[in-house]
Order: sequence, then structure tokens, then C-alpha cells
Amino acid sequence: MITCPTRRPRLRACLALLVLLPALALAGHAQAAAKKLKIGVTLHPYYSFVANIVGDRAEVVALIPGEANPHNYQPQPADITRAMTLDALVVNGIGHDEWAGAIVKAAGRSANLPIIQANASVALIPVGGDQSGAKVVNPHTFVSTTAAIQQVFEIARRLGELDPDNAAIYRRNAMAYAGRIRALRAQFMSRFAGLDLSTFRCATTHAGYDYLMQEFGLFVSAVIEPRHGVAPTARQLANTIEAIKKAQVRVLFAEKTFSLDLAKPIEAATGVKVFALSHITGGTYSADEFEVAMRENLETLAEAVEYTQQ
Amino acid sequence: MASLPLNDRDAAPPAGRVVNPASGRWESLAMVLLTLGVIACVAGYLLLRPREVGPPAALSWQVRSFDGLNAVDQAIHSALLPAGEEIIWNNNDTGGWITLEHAQKIVLPPFYRDAFWKGNGEVHWQLILPGSHQAHARTPDGEAASSAQSPSQVSQATQGQGAAVYYGSAGHLPGQSAYLLVIGHAHAGVMWANQATIWVHPDPNAPYPGIVKPESLVSKGWRQVIAYDGNSEIERVKGTQP
Repeated sequence: MITCPTRRPRLRACLALLVLLPALALAGHAQAAAKKLKIGVTLHPYYSFVANIVGDRAEVVALIPGEANPHNYQPQPADITRAMTLDALVVNGIGHDEWAGAIVKAAGRSANLPIIQANASVALIPVGGDQSGAKVVNPHTFVSTTAAIQQVFEIARRLGELDPDNAAIYRRNAMAYAGRIRALRAQFMSRFAGLDLSTFRCATTHAGYDYLMQEFGLFVSAVIEPRHGVAPTARQLANTIEAIKKAQVRVLFAEKTFSLDLAKPIEAATGVKVFALSHITGGTYSADEFEVAMRENLETLAEAVEYTQQ
Repeated sequence: MASLPLNDRDAAPPAGRVVNPASGRWESLAMVLLTLGVIACVAGYLLLRPREVGPPAALSWQVRSFDGLNAVDQAIHSALLPAGEEIIWNNNDTGGWITLEHAQKIVLPPFYRDAFWKGNGEVHWQLILPGSHQAHARTPDGEAASSAQSPSQVSQATQGQGAAVYYGSAGHLPGQSAYLLVIGHAHAGVMWANQATIWVHPDPNAPYPGIVKPESLVSKGWRQVIAYDGNSEIERVKGTQP
């Protein structure tokens, strides 16, 4: 076949285009497939929840440093930088991470960063003990198993809306994770089965454990902190000590990392035995942190209940 | 130091002297007006400031979980919420309903018979399936969802409403309720398809209501539980819709 020399470059260009077009299309598809959502989280338990829901399909980014105390956190410039890069942010939203709003605002993302309210569908309960007659919402829904599962489901549902391609995987992972959390709970429930819980009375330094107690049919008689993260005055402390004596409380749950000092004078004044629970905040973020901390909490709770049976 | 004129020096100094302000007598009036203005501004702010929206009020046939239920009912309601979600997801994935037997295997509260179940009145749970959808009544592990009930019995019980109902009764703790977890079934085309609603009855031994449509439940003394959830709290705090 004889081809006209002037047409050769045009033919070559057409052939090159034919080869390049599918390659370009595939490259675009691969890039889209490689694009992972960057999901920000405000608290340690949410890191574990999201990491278990998304697996390797998205990146989990902690908004603040792991060692920070979320009760009195002051946003740092690095937090704002992180917030600028996120595709969504998972928050507690009911009083435990109010600083997140300031970070998002400072990052200029108020209008375009999807906020996933983990507690959107969780049935909230009031802080236990006497709160001067008022019913104050307890924001510690993440120190529990049932309310934690509800949050896992809510986060998975919202992430599925943001990332429909992976929605089924998120849902499947969420159900598997929920199954693991329930199995952990069941393991300790069997330990409680033979115990008489009707006479169990406890106090807590921090109002962080009502959801956990509710799951085991236990109730908090007194909370030392008058408000979330606020130390009591001498008068308030004296009143609480009186309430503990009156209710014949034998066990005081202190927070492992930040309220053990508060427990000592109460222990001395009332003779209660102090047990330390984890608030699941502080330390290194990890996918299994929630399960590890909850196992420790349930172990501590079981020990405390067994102590009152003696 | 400036010296006074001689005739002034000789005169007796006055006991008191009124010095009029250079601008007349407007300072006092201006002060009064300013004070009134500040008071008016503060009063206006107090009257017109954006009020925090209170939590949603329950209607006469509803009860709020946060402050309307006792501790036992609250605990069971808290467990029914995620259970309802899981039941719906499971139904979406498999077309089946989680039976009470399967709930034991997957340790699903409040149906799972553990210390929580024991400590919250040992409620007797029954699953009543949508009668018109027997083909879907199969569990993930392949067992029949309700071998004890014939299709006609089930159909009669649910009146063809397309709702799966988890009915809990006979709890023995003081003040405990009877419970219904009603899940609309998407395939049945009901308005509330794939939504879980939770109802309580003050009599723990209230019989199964037969018809689980809201108006029928209300007429039989059942009350819908309204969860005071995170959305409600955000609305209360911010005064806006979340």
C-alpha cells in the first residue's frame, strides 16, 4: 500500500491519540479511585469509631493532639491548618468539644465542611446525682457500649452519604465493629449476672459515666464536680461528702488521668474506696483504643461491684 | 500669684458662690437622658434577645425519654434505638428480620438475656412479623424467622400493615412499662417505611395491640417515646435547627 507522505504525520497523530485516550481515561479513573476522604475527629473514641468504619477507604485525622485535655482545650494554629484540609469532621456536638467550632471557623470552613454530629440520634440522659434539681445533659455518650454503637451507626450512615461508593462497606464495617463492642459487653455482663446490683451505690468525681452505669442497671448517687470539668468549692465539696454519707455510698469512681487528686479528700472523709475509670481521652490515637479502654473500664466496674458484695 | 483689687480685698469673702456651667444647665439633663438611654437599651436587649429554644415538647400521646421515663424504661429505650437501626440495616441487606433467637447469638440488647435484661425486669419479648411478606421472614443464618406462627396468624396480627414489631411485656420492676419497637417495612409501601418508632404502655402486661398504626396505639393507651437526642440538644443550645 502506498501512503501519501504528507498524510503520514496526521495518521501518526491519530494513532497516538487512539492510544492515549484510553490511557488518559484510565489514569483519571485511577486518580478518582485513589482519592480518599480525610475525616477529622475531635475526640479519641471517634478516632477509633471512624477508623473501624472506614478501614482503608478513608484517612482519619485527629483535629487536636492526642495528649490534649478536651475539657479546657485552647485551639492551636496547627489545628486550624489541619481543619483546612478535611473533607468532613466528626464531633460530639453536645458539650464535649465546643472548641471544634472555633477551629472550623478560624480555618474558614464554617460554610463548606460537613459536620457529622455523632450524637444526632443518641437518646441522651441527664447527669446523675443531685444537680440542684436540674436535668443537665450528659455529653459522655462515648463512655459506654450501647450509646457508642448508636454513634458508630450514625457516623457510618453520614459517611455513606458523603461517600456513596463506599457506603455499603462502611455499613458492613460498622455492623462488624458493633458486634465486637457488644461481645465485649456480653463478656462482662455474664460476670455481673450472679451479683446483687440492687444495693450498689456509687459516686463519681466527673459526670462521665452515667451511660456506662445505665447499661448495667447501676446508678450514680452523687457527682463531685458541680459542672462539667469544674472543681467544686469547699461548700459544694462539704455538701457532696454529706450526700455520700447519707446515701451510704461505698465506691467512688475517679477519672484516671485528671481527677484522682479530687478523690483523695473524699476518700479520707467518707471511707469510700476509689476506683479509676478511663474517660477515653488522652494518649495516642488508635483504632483499637476504644475497645482497650472500655475493656479496662468494664474490668474496673466489675471489681467495684464485686467489692460492694463483700 | 495674681493679687485682687484693693476694694475686693476689703470686702468680706462670700460664704458660697454658684458657678454656672459654661453650657448652661444641660449636663444634668444629658446625664439623665444618657442613663435612660442605657436602661432602655438593656431592657430592649433583654426583651428582644434571641431566646434559646427549649427541647421539643411532647404531645399528649408522646413521652420524652430524657425526663418522662423512669430509669428502667430509659435504659430499655436506649438499647432499642441502636437495635432498631441494626434490624433495619440487616433487613436492607438480607431481606430478613433479626429473630429473638438470632438476637441471642449476636448478643443484641435489650433482647439478649444477660445481666442488663435481668436487671431491667426480665421483659418477655416477641417478634410479630409483617404478614404480607413471609418471603422475607428469613434470618441471616437461614433459620425461619417465626416457625411458631402460621402466615395467616401473622397476617391477622399485623393486619397487613407491613410492620415488624418487637413487643416486650411482663417486666416485673415497679413502674415498668410494656414496649413496642415498630419497624415499617419499605416493601410494604407504608409512609413510615424503614423507620423505627418506640412506644410504651404504663401497664407492663398490656396485651399486644393488634393494629400498630399510631392512631390505634394512642387509643389503646400507648405513648410514643420521643428521644431527646443530640439534634435536640444542639437545637436547644444554639437556638437554631441543627
